Amino acid sequence: MFGRHNSAPRTPERAASARASRTAPHGRAARAGDIATDRLADFAYLADTEIYLDAACQSLRPAPVIRAVTDYYETYNACGGRVKYAWGKKVDEQVAATRRAVLSLLGLSARTHAVSFTLNTTYGINLLLQQLPQGRYSRIITSRIEHNSVFLPTITAARRLGIDRVVLDRAPDGALEYSPTMLDGALVVVSAASNIDGRQLTNLTELVADAHQRGGTVILDAAQAMAHGSALLRATGADAICFSAHKMYGASLGVVVSTLDLLASLDISFIGGGMVSDVRETSFDLVTGDPGSLLEPGLQAWGEIIALGAAVSWMGTVRPGGQSPTAHVTQMSERLFDGLAAIPGLTLVNTTAAPVISMYAPGQDSHRLAVFLSQSGIMARSGYFCAHHYLKDHLALPPLLRLSLGLHTTESDIDRTSAALARLLKGLS
Amino acid sequence: MFCIAAFIVLLVMGAVSAKYRRFARIAWGCAVRRVTFRPCDTTFKQDLKDHLLAPIAVRTPRLVKPASVGLEVVAWLVILTTVWSGYTVVKSGLNLYVYGTCNKENAESCTLGAEACAIPDQTPTFWGSIAEFDVIGAFGNEFSSLGETISQIPTRMQNWDATEYLPANETYLTTFDEAKPTALEVIDPGCQFCRQLFANIEEAGFENEYNLTYVPYPIEGEDGYKFPNSLLVTQYLEALRVSPVDDGAGTPVDWQVLERIFTGETDNGVPFQSRINGLDTDAATALLDGWLTEFGLDADEVATIKSVAASDEVADIIASNKELVEDEIHTVKVPTIIFDGRRHDGLVDVDGLK
Repeated sequence: MFGRHNSAPRTPERAASARASRTAPHGRAARAGDIATDRLADFAYLADTEIYLDAACQSLRPAPVIRAVTDYYETYNACGGRVKYAWGKKVDEQVAATRRAVLSLLGLSARTHAVSFTLNTTYGINLLLQQLPQGRYSRIITSRIEHNSVFLPTITAARRLGIDRVVLDRAPDGALEYSPTMLDGALVVVSAASNIDGRQLTNLTELVADAHQRGGTVILDAAQAMAHGSALLRATGADAICFSAHKMYGASLGVVVSTLDLLASLDISFIGGGMVSDVRETSFDLVTGDPGSLLEPGLQAWGEIIALGAAVSWMGTVRPGGQSPTAHVTQMSERLFDGLAAIPGLTLVNTTAAPVISMYAPGQDSHRLAVFLSQSGIMARSGYFCAHHYLKDHLALPPLLRLSLGLHTTESDIDRTSAALARLLKGLS
Repeated sequence: MFCIAAFIVLLVMGAVSAKYRRFARIAWGCAVRRVTFRPCDTTFKQDLKDHLLAPIAVRTPRLVKPASVGLEVVAWLVILTTVWSGYTVVKSGLNLYVYGTCNKENAESCTLGAEACAIPDQTPTFWGSIAEFDVIGAFGNEFSSLGETISQIPTRMQNWDATEYLPANETYLTTFDEAKPTALEVIDPGCQFCRQLFANIEEAGFENEYNLTYVPYPIEGEDGYKFPNSLLVTQYLEALRVSPVDDGAGTPVDWQVLERIFTGETDNGVPFQSRINGLDTDAATALLDGWLTEFGLDADEVATIKSVAASDEVADIIASNKELVEDEIHTVKVPTIIFDGRRHDGLVDVDGLK
């Protein structure tokens, strides 16, 4: 049905050696067991013996991002928003710069879109879905592989709005399998990249065009796409893009980039300070000219917002191994995929290389493997990764082991992980 | 079983370090489900096992499986030993309360109670039965013993009246005075703690406050008697009570014999009790005969005492006393003394006698 079950006699060591000869940066052939020497200096706090492979949950923060947060707390940690003093003005400037940076990263304009900061992706999606107006949509469409942050709010939103919810399949290449008529007046909420196997929504542009043509709206869960696949999202015309700064090298923060039309259509009910211009005994006026604030009740996480600006800036300039971030992650992903594919007894959920690779070894508990890997300094995630319906209910898979990469990842990390996993499975079988 | 064992271990560790208490609480939740025959709804067991096995997995992965089995075995051992320990603590506590010793089978081995000579339980021990592959007998005897102890709990709360347990032909150390309460001691003439009790009684002036009498009880051992000449002395004592001799001294001759055993010494400073315990029967008999002569009995009277001592009548009295001690007083320690509404098992110090 999917995945690769490996029984080839090719050993991980041989695979690693073959890869090293063709992909090692700086002319140095990496070998299994090597200590990383080519890690970005911005991740210098990561010890050579520590291999972090849970970037899909939370990416490691580079030094400039940490410095931005520290600088805020040490030199001007004041409130932003409607302040007249210097520190507050500086915060406002930095926050505004972050909003511009986010729009720029996605190739969007402030004339058509607004940036709102929230707690995380789940929170952002809920803010949108739970404030959708009655009667606007005929159905809600989502896909089977979605993270609970999409899967669950679409259930509750459909109940609240009294409309059908349609769960569609995703093709192996990540495309949403739909017929255009399904999109009549539909609200489509899907992920741009899977947190299970990294597959991307390859027909995103087509989907948005079809939806808009038929009066539909598209909201994207871009939590896994923003760090290394933002190119897919640029100028696609999606009505809202929700993502997490902490999965793209920023501090813990959620972001919603939505069209002004979508924001204007919301039945705002989650409301508080920072969103209103005037309040009377039984009514209030919402702020005008700052549509992003409609999703920002209460005090904002100023330091984290500022850190996101630093993260976007850093991602635009960093060159791991002299390559672009995308090229580096792609190279690492392929190396990891090849290494894992060569391990006998390991079944990969992924059909292709991706920054997120999930797997399981029949007869071996993935949680146990994660603990054993941890003993070797390898930080991996195990379980269903908040995709219970797809993995547990639909595919009836056991808990999985997931490895996810970032710009901190080195070839040595990859090779040591593949070797450790191969040795474990050989001994445990 | 693993989470139950983990809870037990973490409970102990949590008692000395707060960092284990959180894990102990988690383990408790798991353990409660296990003991109520529900599946453990947490990953605690797996997490704990995995973390314990992780160092092995990194070095030698193929040893993980046998090590995992080993952990389960250890878990079972922890549970079994804990259950057994808990049972032993409860049983010992009950024995201590009822009999004044935490080890009813061998009272001398328990340092928590008063010092005494133990009346050994002739029933095979649990492990003795196990060693003979008598599993049913081992558990049967064990729980029978526990049941007996539990059934005796009310006796600890009863008001003990020495007059209800008087032996036949009882004699008193001092002249009987109806105005005084009666005290009864169970003694073995060869037991060193009976000698100490007698000394304490005299030091406390106890005999002036109570009508003090006694039940001579030679403690049986695995082969004969615990003290070789206790039966002989007991026969003499009972004979003197069956055929009392008035020597004009006021103190019954049997008490004079006891007093000599418990307080007297040989010319070279050896307590007579120790001396008698080390003599063969003939020598002990000669010594006792000599004392009787010394206490004023003529040759005929001594001969009569010797004859009575060997009689069925005295044998019956001794057998009756044995039933009195074991089945009515229900003590496992010698000396035992009944006074002041209580049964005092073991040696009582001077203050306790005042």
